[in-house]
Amino acid sequence: MITKTILEQIEGEASLYFDMKGNIVDFVTIAFPHFRGMEKMLEGKNAMDALVITPRVCGICGHSHLLASVRAIEDAYKNSDSVVEITNKAAKVREITLVLEIIQNHLKWIYLVLVPHLRELSESEELLNTPLKGAYGASFATKILAIFAGQWPHSSYMVPGGITSDFTYVDLTKAKSHLQKLTEYFEAETLGASVEEFLSFESCKDFAPLESDFAKIEQLLIDLEMHKKGHAKDTFLSIGIHEFSHAAKVKGTKLFKVASKYVETQDAYAPDEKSYAKNALYKNQFYETGPLARCMAKEFKLIKNMHRRFKDSAYTRVMARIYETAYLLGFCKKLLDEINISEASCRETIPLKNISGTGEGVVEAPRGPLIHRVQIKEGIIKSYEIITPTQYNIASATKENPSPAQQAMLHCSQADAKFIFRTFDVCSVCTTH
Amino acid sequence: MADRIEGVKKLFTSKSARVETNKGDAYYEKLFEKCQARIEELKTQQPINNRLDITDVLEMQGIERRDFLKWASAVTGMLMLPASFTPLVADAALLMNRAPVIWLELSDCAGNSEALLRSDGPKIDEIVLDIISLEFHETLQAAAGHQAEKQLEDAMETFKDKYLLFVEGAVPLGMNGQFGTIGASGETMHDHLLRVAKHAAAVVAVGSCATFGGVPAAAPNPTGAVGVMDVIQGKPLINIPACPANPANMVGVILHYILTGQVPELDSLLRPKFAFGYRIHDNCERRAHFDAGEYVEEWGDEGAKNNFCLYKVGCKGPMTFNNCSIVRYNEGVNWPVGVGRGCIGCSEPDFWDKYAYERPMADAKIKAPTGGVEKTVDEFGLGLLTAAGIGIGIHAVASAVAGKKEDGGEA
Repeated sequence: MITKTILEQIEGEASLYFDMKGNIVDFVTIAFPHFRGMEKMLEGKNAMDALVITPRVCGICGHSHLLASVRAIEDAYKNSDSVVEITNKAAKVREITLVLEIIQNHLKWIYLVLVPHLRELSESEELLNTPLKGAYGASFATKILAIFAGQWPHSSYMVPGGITSDFTYVDLTKAKSHLQKLTEYFEAETLGASVEEFLSFESCKDFAPLESDFAKIEQLLIDLEMHKKGHAKDTFLSIGIHEFSHAAKVKGTKLFKVASKYVETQDAYAPDEKSYAKNALYKNQFYETGPLARCMAKEFKLIKNMHRRFKDSAYTRVMARIYETAYLLGFCKKLLDEINISEASCRETIPLKNISGTGEGVVEAPRGPLIHRVQIKEGIIKSYEIITPTQYNIASATKENPSPAQQAMLHCSQADAKFIFRTFDVCSVCTTH
Repeated sequence: MADRIEGVKKLFTSKSARVETNKGDAYYEKLFEKCQARIEELKTQQPINNRLDITDVLEMQGIERRDFLKWASAVTGMLMLPASFTPLVADAALLMNRAPVIWLELSDCAGNSEALLRSDGPKIDEIVLDIISLEFHETLQAAAGHQAEKQLEDAMETFKDKYLLFVEGAVPLGMNGQFGTIGASGETMHDHLLRVAKHAAAVVAVGSCATFGGVPAAAPNPTGAVGVMDVIQGKPLINIPACPANPANMVGVILHYILTGQVPELDSLLRPKFAFGYRIHDNCERRAHFDAGEYVEEWGDEGAKNNFCLYKVGCKGPMTFNNCSIVRYNEGVNWPVGVGRGCIGCSEPDFWDKYAYERPMADAKIKAPTGGVEKTVDEFGLGLLTAAGIGIGIHAVASAVAGKKEDGGEA
């Protein structure tokens, strides 16, 4: 007997088709009933238009799309024998705004998705429902972002050759001071410890003295036995090249080299409803992407310790997202301190109409690797392909070879399965661009 | 040709967007009494669904009454009302929990919800939003699936003919609407919208997608997407375009409704004049460089380092109406032009196809928006700017630093 459930609050919605055996999930397929056709719109347009159009794929990670677009165009320059070198300053600022976008996404996810659903599932009043906490923290992050990018969401401040913004020392000082405030806010409201202290933790035992939202979340996850549920494939993928991450394919705890050319898509398997989503696979296999994948590739002690004990359970996945938030706050400070304001923001490039060739841009977005592939002829887009992180995690395939989310939802109650689905931080609008 | 150049010159240098805001004492006295009566009446009603009382929330957030009144006075100015209305606006804000709002997401990216949630301020706006009786919002509520549908039905029944309906996202009509279905019943977005709009007091289309079809409607419009105004008839309709729409304008519309019970004054594209009665170009921090003929010619050149005008790299400020240059984004921190990036004209219809951002306007076949703010801007076709760059620096005092300097090095 297959029952349909609609899940909202995932930047859009998805339909889940549960095949139950008694009260236990036997299998799930996932359909995304929306479609906009962004790739089609890009065809025939000036390649620079991609910098304005692709951010509009998503209202929560548009910045990652912008960076993927600009990297794809710069790569096309390179493949047309016109290498674009950006300055250190431009590279740092691009990185800073990307990191801030990830931070705001995670903060929002913690308080608008995780906390209410954890409360619902555990029927516990222990943890208060405070969505505005997430909104408040996230608005701090986007405020810093806007100093460099002009606005958030949907900025287009990166161009081939660098960035358009020529900020001053005053701007930089403001950014540092806002970041300081944001960090203190996260320490006081969420962690109950300083970021530095939190990042030095090596095992779950270190959480014992904490009395904070984080501590309550952790306890509730254990109470719900989420450390024994929600196991996916135990294989991870981190592909984007950044200072804050390490590109690798991870199987269990072993790291391997990774190359984006092996990423391909196939139509989603959704027998009960038309789905406009495509599955993303690496060498024909499913991998989990996102904060947990990045933490495994970076080999953070605390997350590795959790993985050793609980493998890639829902618990480990949630913890990795919170850990990454703390890590990125510290990393963002480092990046701001390293900016040399006297360098150029943007280097001039030859006109785009002289460029013909293909290019690829790969970025670690909040939920994992985002890939843009473009084919340009004399500055005009011939074809454009976008592969988003949710396409790996929430792929819908057959029972013989389930995707990470499908695997994670097996053999538990339907209520648990829905919660586990959300631990992947699903983005529906990206999936159905 | 000389006439044409003269015409363009007039257009680009005129203060085109002068909204006459003063309607005379008699008008305001009458309006004041009307608003007062309305607010008194609202005060007698019970808050909806035990929404929080704003005074408690303000206290909880540590915001003092003085800060609150400061905010109220800023909003009064934004709504183009005399200062004497400030106490009324403050009262209206306190009564936000008497105005039921239903929010639908159609073919969208959730960017406006995101903007609304956390990208703008003053912080007080967000608190006010927490107070607004948001009866139904797919992204922000805990209910899902059948439960969510029931919640929507209940809200529609309880507040029949009273609720404000906010719509985010375009309406995909292609393939009989199959590109977008909603909820467990698989209803198309189009049917869903018609059903929910039927008993709304007014419909507010938020963001470029909901107003003019936005990015989903960009050529070749794969899903046959249109804006709300193309499918909803016989209802008061307010458009708040831009990508994303500025939350200040969303809150402004709600407050105006609570205050007066009416929709604010609109232009020919149904945009509130208090927000869209300004042309970006007229209030731009780089306007002086335009007037002096100083332009960025290419990304990263000397002009860019000196914050020159962005018109030549595709800024669409001269034909775009919105208050970004005044209100800015993300708590007033910045806006695109502030980071050396031209305006892309995102609050105008069809901007994806006509306003592509780096195309010189001479080649862009732009038909300027008929802003309705003032007739001179209606119907000018920039197609007449045949020579690339004509109309630029028309009355330039000097053709100053034109991009590449011979001795150019790092500044």
